[in-house]
Amino acid sequence: MFGRAINRVAVVASAQTKLRDAWSNRQHVDLISEAVVGALKGSGLRIEDVDFVIDCGSDILDGRSISNCGFLGAMGAHHKEESRVEEDGLWGALYGATKIGSGSAEVGLVLAYSKPSESDVSAFYATQCEPFYQRPVGFDHAAACGFQAQSYLASHSLSEEVFADVVAHDWALAAANSAVELETAPTAGDVRASSRVAAPLHELELSRPVDGAVAVVLASKRVAQRVCTDPVWITGIGTAMDQHSFAMRERDSLPACAAAAEAAYRRAGMDGPEGASLAELSASSAATQLMVLEALGLADPGGAARLYSEGSDVALNPSGGSLPADPIMATGLVRLSEAALQLSGRVGHGPEGASSAIVHGAGGVGMQNHCVFTLEV
Amino acid sequence: MDRTTSASMEMRSEGLGTTPSEHPAFAGRIELPYKLTTGRAASVFLAELASRRIVGSRCPSCARVLVPAQDFCAECGTAAEELVVVASAGSLSGFTETAAGVLGLIRLDGASTDLVHRILDAGLADLQVGQRVAARWAEEAQGSVLDIVGFAADDAPAASEEVRPLSDPSDPVIEQPYRLRLDYQHAYGPYYGRLFDEIATSRRIQGVRCPRCECVLVPPREYCDTCFVRTAEWVDVADTGVIKAFSIIHLEFVGQVREPPYIYAEIVLDGAATRLIHTVGGIEVEEAMERLHPGTAVRAVWKDGEPVGTLEDIVYFEPVFDD
Ligand SMILES: [Zn+2]
Ligand SMILES: [Zn+2]
Repeated sequence: MFGRAINRVAVVASAQTKLRDAWSNRQHVDLISEAVVGALKGSGLRIEDVDFVIDCGSDILDGRSISNCGFLGAMGAHHKEESRVEEDGLWGALYGATKIGSGSAEVGLVLAYSKPSESDVSAFYATQCEPFYQRPVGFDHAAACGFQAQSYLASHSLSEEVFADVVAHDWALAAANSAVELETAPTAGDVRASSRVAAPLHELELSRPVDGAVAVVLASKRVAQRVCTDPVWITGIGTAMDQHSFAMRERDSLPACAAAAEAAYRRAGMDGPEGASLAELSASSAATQLMVLEALGLADPGGAARLYSEGSDVALNPSGGSLPADPIMATGLVRLSEAALQLSGRVGHGPEGASSAIVHGAGGVGMQNHCVFTLEV
Repeated sequence: MDRTTSASMEMRSEGLGTTPSEHPAFAGRIELPYKLTTGRAASVFLAELASRRIVGSRCPSCARVLVPAQDFCAECGTAAEELVVVASAGSLSGFTETAAGVLGLIRLDGASTDLVHRILDAGLADLQVGQRVAARWAEEAQGSVLDIVGFAADDAPAASEEVRPLSDPSDPVIEQPYRLRLDYQHAYGPYYGRLFDEIATSRRIQGVRCPRCECVLVPPREYCDTCFVRTAEWVDVADTGVIKAFSIIHLEFVGQVREPPYIYAEIVLDGAATRLIHTVGGIEVEEAMERLHPGTAVRAVWKDGEPVGTLEDIVYFEPVFDD
């Protein structure tokens, strides 16, 4: 068990900038420093207490190579141990928790940031596609999402109507979350009326790329109990990666996500997701969100849509999740921050009396990689 | 003249919280040429398209036929060295339509895996999982997966599931050219925005002072890199300074904006604590090798005409010699 056999690790503080379509009046460094300063503020810890900094982003999205080198000052990483993880920020948290859990450090700052508005999201994903067989025919992330949706509906004889309900549910929650900038939340009808961009998916059934930054402070049990009355403990972590060739993967399910969840539950001493108060998920489309719920064990294969039509015991994406706000590369770490804030009661939109959470992050074309955390207070 | 302006962090053209479109952005592009090595399996697959043969590889562990050919079976982790020829027709196992057109996942007869490719002459409404499709070949082969133009509906019955060993292979396509091109619209942000606005309006270079270490940082930024405290004060710095280090560039490289040889230098502007990277000009390379040293004084040579608000408004820094 991750939390008990070795040193326990807690999320003791976190903060994020507002997530919005474009922060076109601020640079990456401006967003990063706001998140880092926000996370430390009131945490009982200062930048001097931070033993290491792990940052997550994409050189391709940033438009410069080894972009972290230019952002060190804004991270507070001067002359500190600093590592870059070119993956979603939840893998940065995995790395940080592992360092602290092993006893090699006590306080870690994990941050992730994204400014997809400066770049072209489809070109970003296309660079991740295999260059001989995939890129020339026009295969990209949107196509992967479309294939997954088509396959999911076909396998379970479902109508495409199910997707719009998922989107409307999450956007309504995001509209109530002050961390997400939204003018209005679309209704299911609006979703179905949006243009088809990756058939059968409509534009609003794909996640909305947004700009933003998030920072999370992780600490050892000793430090957490000193600075925090309500540390949020990391009880389990699992990660798994599917094969690179999308055409050779399962398309109506996410077995790598299921493997990551199983590893996290096992380490937490859990038999499955039963008893979790909330789940914060990262999905690139409404279809893959349903598949994530099934992979996490929250629904049977093909049954996740009923969590929206009939209700769910586990609060799903109380923050709104990734569909209304997907700061690519930071999405999973936003989920961790959100879940921790909800468990510690520091934001109003978490379920009442929440005591445990499942956090999911993903990365790659068609969500090749998955990472799952379990948390408790 | 007191050139220090105490500033209230007022943002000129970059007021926080206004709508995105009002903000000018810096257009950047990354463009890189590649010569990609195809590897054994892809090199044969691409070459055989000229003979209108589709090549797969058989995994010795799970016996699946991987199409298009792969060097390794991703599920077993085993080298899939045996190359085989599969049918060029099969059935459709999935489809979507994006800005790139209609794409399909195709299970060729004899293959154990799907291939992603274009679907021709059909709208989504015409497509069904399981329907027969066949390759349409390009007139002239280029050694690319697009030597198959795409797949179209086909009435012919399924051929035998038998795969044939690859015989008389053509010369492999061992390399493919690729050009990466990515375009960006970088935000200036409030600090660079003000720096460039000041250059454009008054040829004035501004930095910010850190209240803890008292260093003046150019370009300006919200947090001091070393102290991680908020910078508090805008400060004018001079357009004169001293060379801290320099290098004469003779190398040519992709993306180079000046023709070599030229002199790249780290310059500490008078009043600043940071090094600005720019060029030194107004001096021949031979003379520069003799006379430039760390500590040599320089001054900015501004471009004629209206400044536009970039560091390119300074053509170069020219040395100022005592003699
Ligand atoms: Zn195999
Ligand atoms: Zn300082």
